[in-house]
Amino acid sequence: MKAPTIDYLAFAPILATLGGSLLVIAFALARASFVQRVVLPGLALVSIAVAAAFAVITWETGDQTTIIEGALAVDALALGFSLLVYAAGIGAIALSLRSEIARDAGRGEYYALLLASITGMTILVAAENLVTLFVGFELLSIPLYVMCAAAVRDERSLESGLKYLIVGSVGSATLLYGLAMIYGATGSTDFAGISAAIGTGVDATDPLLLSGIALAITGLAFKASVAPFHQWTPDVYEGAPTPVTAFMAVATKIAAFGVILRLFDDALLSTQLQWGPALAALCWVTIIVGNVGAIGQSSLKRMLAWSGVAQAGYLLAGIVVGTRLGAEAVFFYLAVYLLMNIAAFAVVIARERVSEHGDGLRSLERLGEASPWLAWPMTIAMLGLAGFPLTAGFFGKFQLINATVSGSYESLAIAIVIGSMISLAYYLRVIAVMWMSPREIEIPAAPGRASRKVRPAEGWSPEAGAAAQPEVTAVAVLCAVLVLAIGIFPDPLFDVARDVGSSLAGFL
Amino acid sequence: MSPVTYGWLVLAFPLAGTILISLLYKRLPGRSAGWIGAGAILGAFLSGLGALSQMLAVAPEQRIFEGSLFAYARTLGVDVDLGILVDPLSLLMVLIVSGVSFLIHVYSIAYLTSDAGYSRFFAYLNFFVFSMLLLVLAGNFILLIVGWAFVGAASYLLISFWYRRETATKAGIKAFVINVIGDVGLVLAAFLLFSETGALSYAEVFAAAPEVFSPNEGVIVIACLLILVGAFAKSAQVPLHTWLPDAMEGPTPVSALIHAATMVTAGVYLIARTHPLFEIATDAAAVAAIIGTATLFIAATIALVMTDLKRAIAYSTMSQIGYMVLGVSAFAYGAGMFHLMTHAFFKALLFMSAGSIISAMGGEQSLDRMGGLRKAMPFTFVVFTIGALALAGFPLTSGFFSKDAIIDFTLYRGGLYTVLAIFAYAAALMTAIYSFRLVFRVFFGKKCPEAEELEAGHLHHADPVNPATGEPEGTDVGFPGEEHHIAERDWPMKIGMAPLALLALVAGALQIPGVTEAVTHFLEPTFAGSEYLEAHPTVAEEWRGLAIGGTIAVIGIGIAFFLYIRRPQITPALQARFGALHSFLAHKWYFDELIDACVVRPTAAFGRFGRNVVESQLVQGVLVGGATSVVRVGTSTVRTLQSGYLRAYAALLLIGMCGLALYFLTVSS
Repeated sequence: MKAPTIDYLAFAPILATLGGSLLVIAFALARASFVQRVVLPGLALVSIAVAAAFAVITWETGDQTTIIEGALAVDALALGFSLLVYAAGIGAIALSLRSEIARDAGRGEYYALLLASITGMTILVAAENLVTLFVGFELLSIPLYVMCAAAVRDERSLESGLKYLIVGSVGSATLLYGLAMIYGATGSTDFAGISAAIGTGVDATDPLLLSGIALAITGLAFKASVAPFHQWTPDVYEGAPTPVTAFMAVATKIAAFGVILRLFDDALLSTQLQWGPALAALCWVTIIVGNVGAIGQSSLKRMLAWSGVAQAGYLLAGIVVGTRLGAEAVFFYLAVYLLMNIAAFAVVIARERVSEHGDGLRSLERLGEASPWLAWPMTIAMLGLAGFPLTAGFFGKFQLINATVSGSYESLAIAIVIGSMISLAYYLRVIAVMWMSPREIEIPAAPGRASRKVRPAEGWSPEAGAAAQPEVTAVAVLCAVLVLAIGIFPDPLFDVARDVGSSLAGFL
Repeated sequence: MSPVTYGWLVLAFPLAGTILISLLYKRLPGRSAGWIGAGAILGAFLSGLGALSQMLAVAPEQRIFEGSLFAYARTLGVDVDLGILVDPLSLLMVLIVSGVSFLIHVYSIAYLTSDAGYSRFFAYLNFFVFSMLLLVLAGNFILLIVGWAFVGAASYLLISFWYRRETATKAGIKAFVINVIGDVGLVLAAFLLFSETGALSYAEVFAAAPEVFSPNEGVIVIACLLILVGAFAKSAQVPLHTWLPDAMEGPTPVSALIHAATMVTAGVYLIARTHPLFEIATDAAAVAAIIGTATLFIAATIALVMTDLKRAIAYSTMSQIGYMVLGVSAFAYGAGMFHLMTHAFFKALLFMSAGSIISAMGGEQSLDRMGGLRKAMPFTFVVFTIGALALAGFPLTSGFFSKDAIIDFTLYRGGLYTVLAIFAYAAALMTAIYSFRLVFRVFFGKKCPEAEELEAGHLHHADPVNPATGEPEGTDVGFPGEEHHIAERDWPMKIGMAPLALLALVAGALQIPGVTEAVTHFLEPTFAGSEYLEAHPTVAEEWRGLAIGGTIAVIGIGIAFFLYIRRPQITPALQARFGALHSFLAHKWYFDELIDACVVRPTAAFGRFGRNVVESQLVQGVLVGGATSVVRVGTSTVRTLQSGYLRAYAALLLIGMCGLALYFLTVSS
C-alpha cells in the first residue's frame, strides 16, 4: 500500500500551528520567568504568523487543489477562513498576556491548547471529506473544553468546562451519527463524491440521506450556537475565562460557518430544496431567541453570548440561500463580526480586571469620562453589531440582506431587519451606560442568579485606566479603527470575499 | 467651481464645525462655541448660494449635477458611490436648511448663554445640520438612509439635551423609537427597489422604474407605502405623530430648527424626491394624500385647545406638514415645496418668539398664565403677530400664497381630492382661529404679573421648575440655565428673528400666480419627467382660490377676536357645553392611549414574557425542576446546578434534533 503524497507547501499552515503547539509545550519545561512570560506567548504568536504567511503565499499562487488524496482543500475559502481564525488567535493571545488564567493553568499548556484548537479549526474549514471534517471538529473542541476550565480555582470556570464537554459530546455524537448516515446513503466520504452521487445514484429525497443531514445540522448548529441548540452558549461564555470566551465566540463561529458553508453549499447543494426551509426556520428562531434573550442581561459576557446567538442567525441566512452572494456575505460578515467582538471583549477584559462589578454592565459606568480609549472602541463595536451605518457591521448586514433578497428568501431579510431593531435595545444600553450619568439608566437585575461582588484582580486597582494594560487597549482600538475603516472603505474586504465565494464551484 | 464642488463644501462646513467644537469644547471661552457654530452654517449657506449662481448660469435642462467622492462599495451586483446630487430640488432644500439654521444658530448664541452645556449644544446642532444636508444632498438611497438615521440620532440628542429631566429623556426615547420604525420602512423600501431595479442611485432607479413596474403594480405600491412609513415617522403624520409634541421638551431653538423648519419636513422632501415612483404607484400617492389630510385636520383641532404654548405650535406644525404632504402627493410639487419654504420661515419665527415669551415668563409655558405682554415685549409681539398672520394665511403674506396653491391644486385634481380640499379649507379656518388665539391670549387681555414686572424694567426669574411636571430642578449641567434671555434685551436674538419676519411677510412674492411663479420654474428641471407638470389650474382658478383662502383667514381671525377679546367668557361656556368634545381634543384624540394599548403594552408584555417566562420559568423553572430549585441553583452546590442545567440543555438539544429529523423525514420520498 502506497502512502499518499503530500504537497508540503500547501500543508504548511496546518503544520506551523501544530508544530508551534508542540514547541510551546517543550519550552514550557523551562520554568524561568522570562520563558514563561515572554517566550511562550511569543512562540505562539510566531507560529500563527508563520502559518498566516504560508496561507497568504499559497493564496497568492491562486491554485485550487486538494491535498492528501482529497482530504483537505486548499482554496480561497479554506485560506480565507483560516486567516480569520489566525486573527482571532492573535487577539486571544494578546488578551491573555496579563491574565491570571494562563498562569493558573500553566502557560505552556494554555498556549499549546490554543494552537491545537486553531489547528483543528483550520483543518475543519479545509475539510473536503467527512472523516477530516470530524477530525477537525474534535481537534477544535477538545482543547476548548479544557481551556474553558482553565481558571482552575474558579468554580464557574470548572462548571463551564464540564458543561461544555458534556453537551458538546452530545453534539459531536449527533454529528458523527449524521455523517455516518450520509456516507451510508451516498457511499462516499468525499464531498465531491457525495455531490456526484446525489442525483445520479441517490435521490435528493432519500430518507437515509435526509436523516443524516438532519443530524449533521444538529451537530454543526450546536457549535455555531444556532437556536434551539444554543443553550450552552450563555452559561459557558459567562463561566469561561474571558480571553477564552473571546476566542471561542469568534473563532468557533468562524470555523463552524466555514464548514457549514462547504458542506451545505458544496457537497449537499443539490438537496438545497430540502434543507433550505429547515435552515430558514432555524434562522428565524435563532434571530428571535438570540435578540430577545440578550435584552435584560446584566452581565456583558452573557449579553455578548446572546448577541452571538442572534448573529449566528443572521449568518445562517447567508447559508440558506445557497448562492455565491450568500457565501460572500457570510465571509464578509464573519470578518467584521470578528473585529467587533474582539473589540468588545477586549474592553470587557480591561474592565473586568479592575472593576468591582466584574463583567457586569455596571463595570462600564461613566467609562466615557474615565477612559475614552476604552469607551470609544466599545461604542463603535456596539454600533457595528447593531448594524449602524458607517460601521463595517452595516455593510455586513447589507450584504446578508442583499443575498437573501436576491436569493428569494425575502422573509429572512425581514427577520434580519426586525432582529437588528430589537438588538438596538441592548446595544444602545451599553453605550448609554458608558456615556450618560448613572441616574437615568435602568440596569436589570441578573435573572436567576444572585449578582456577585468581585474584587479587582490581583495587583489591579479600580482606578487603573486604559494605559495600565496597553496591549488590551491596543487590540480594542485597532479592531474599532478597522470596523470604522471597513465601514468607509469596504471595497478591499469585498474583493477578498469575492475570492472566497468564487472557490465554491457549485454555484451558478 | 462646479455646483457639485459647492455641494461638498456645503457638507464640509457643518462637519468641520461639529468636530472643532467637540474637540475644543473645554477650552472655548464664553460664547465662542456659538459663533464658531453659526460661522460654519453661514459657510454652508454661502456655499449653497455659490452653487445657486453656478446653476443659474446654465440652461434649465442641464441643471442636474451628480458627483461622487469615491466608490463607496462595489461588489457583485451592488454599486454605491459616495455620491451627491445637486439639482434644483436639493439646492432649494440646502438653501432653506442652511439659511434658517444660520439664523437659529445666531438666536441660540444669546438664548442659551447661561446653559452649562453651551458648547455641547452647538456641537449637536452643527451635527444635526450636517446630517440634514447629507440627507437632502444624497445621490442614492444608501446615503439617504445614512442621513436619515443621523438626523434621527441628532434629534434624539437634542430632545434629551436637558438630560436630567426625566420627561426630556423619555421624550427623546419616544422620538427615537418612532423614527426607527420609519427607518425600517425606508430600509425595506430601498431593498425592495434595489431587488427589482438592480440600482440604488436615484437616477438609475427612476430611469428603470417605468420599464420594470407597470402602473399600480403590487410591488411598487408596497415600496411606495414603505417609503411613506419612513416619511410619516419623520414628518409626524398620523398615526406616527405622537413623538412631535413631546419633542418640545428640547430647548426652544431645537424646536424651531428641527421640529418645525427642517427635519420634520424631510418626509415631504422624500416624497418629492421619489415622485417618479409615486407617479407610477398613484394608489400610494392617494394614501399619502388621505393621511396628509387626516393629519392636517386632526392636528388643527387639537391645536385649538392646547394650553401649552410650544405644544400648540407643535400641533400647528403637524397640521402644516399635512398640507405639504397633501400637496406633493397631489403632484403639486412646486406648491408643496413652496409651502415647505414659507413654513420654515414663519414657523421658525413663531418658535423663536415663543422662546422669548417663555423666557419672559421665567420658564412658564402655559397659556393660562400668560396675558398682556404686548407693551412689555414690543419686538416679540410684532414678529409673533407677523408669524401668526403668515400661518393663518392672511392675504399677501407668504402663507397666503403657499397654502392656497396647495388647496387649489387639490381641487383641480377632482374626485376624491375634492373632499380632501374641503377638509383642507375647514382646517384653514381652524388655523386662523388657533394662531390668533395664541396672539390674543399671550399679548392681549389682563396683564399677568410677569408682564408688569417686565414693564417696570425687571425680567422675571422664577425658581427653576420642569414645565411638564412642575417639579423643582437644579440649574447645573443637564438642566436649563438659571438666567433667561428675551429678544428685547439680546441683540443676537433680534438678528435671528428679524430676517425671518421679513421673509414671512414678503416671500409670497416669489410665487404669485400668473406673475412670478419663481419657485415652480426653478424646480422644473427636477420634475421635468413628471406627467403632471403641465396639468395645473389656470391662473384665474388660482386667484379664485386665493380669494376664498384670504376670506377664510380673515373670518378665522375675526372669530378668534370675537372669542378671545370681545367675549372671553364664551370659551369657558363652550368648554362646559361641549365637555366631551373638549376633553377628546385636549387628550389629543387619545392617540397616545391608543398606541399604548395597541402597541406598547403588548410589546412590553411580550418582553416580560420573554424574560420571565422563557428565561426564568421555562428554562430555569420548568426544565430545571420547579421554582424551588431556582433558589437552590443560585445558592447551593455546584453539583445540583450542573446536573439541573445539563439535563435541560441536552433534552432541548434532543428535542430540536427530533424536530429537524421529523421535518426531513416528511420531505423525503
